[in-house]
Amino acid sequence: MILAAWVAAQRRFIAFAVSGSSMEPSFCDGDFILVDVGSGLRPGDPAIFRDPRQPQRELIKRVKAISPDGWLNLAGDNPDASTDSRVFGAIEPALIVGRACVRYWPPKRAGLLRRAR
Amino acid sequence: MDLRKLFAPTRVAHAHCDIPCGIYDPHQAQLAAHSVIRMVELITALERSDESTAEHQIARYTAVKEEHAELVKREVRIIWGDYFKPEQLQEYPNLHTLVFEIMKLASTARQQINKEASQSLLGKVQEFAEIFYKTKGRETKRVATVYPTGGELVQPV
Repeated sequence: MILAAWVAAQRRFIAFAVSGSSMEPSFCDGDFILVDVGSGLRPGDPAIFRDPRQPQRELIKRVKAISPDGWLNLAGDNPDASTDSRVFGAIEPALIVGRACVRYWPPKRAGLLRRAR
Repeated sequence: MDLRKLFAPTRVAHAHCDIPCGIYDPHQAQLAAHSVIRMVELITALERSDESTAEHQIARYTAVKEEHAELVKREVRIIWGDYFKPEQLQEYPNLHTLVFEIMKLASTARQQINKEASQSLLGKVQEFAEIFYKTKGRETKRVATVYPTGGELVQPV
């Protein structure tokens, strides 16, 4: 039973380590997060997506806007240290991996990541 | 047991800038300003016993003067445009004016054989260097150079 729940969770959530400072102060270098791959995205959500220029590389940025045809405009919370839609433009929805929903490391800052309203 | 290692994810979400370098230093701008002064000195002191040799030397000194005046502008522009943040401007409200003066003096130093302009250029670049190091939380000192131009370099302490 516990194992089944764990397997289900594995399918829906993927753990990621954050690397870099473009999402500070919300996400810091070395944070561990769970990403909900079954969740839709709204403006304000932190999104994990494949880099449109280098698809094997996955990025974390915040959704700024979503166009009527689903393309997403993303930006770092720390724009001075961020390469985002200002550089590579809006991204197609197929590149989205999911929404960062839980931080589980470091323990002091662990918790659910609230969604923007 | 190292809990962090145990829970470490295998996938990485990159939150980077493409070029996260953070390597800025006004040292190069100061060297270039000294080079401009030196070229003015060499041009002014040139002996003209052999005309073709003198012309050749003038051409070389002028080319280097042009290049280094441009280098001052480039180095200062990079620090001003890429490093400085709006918050720092509040603390150093004369920064824009200072950079503008550096651009204008560097142009004058390029266009003319002008000792005053090249000395003023160095002075303004030194002021710029002092502001830069202060934003890094470092005090500065002016040390005597080892160059034929004499003068000083601003260095962090």
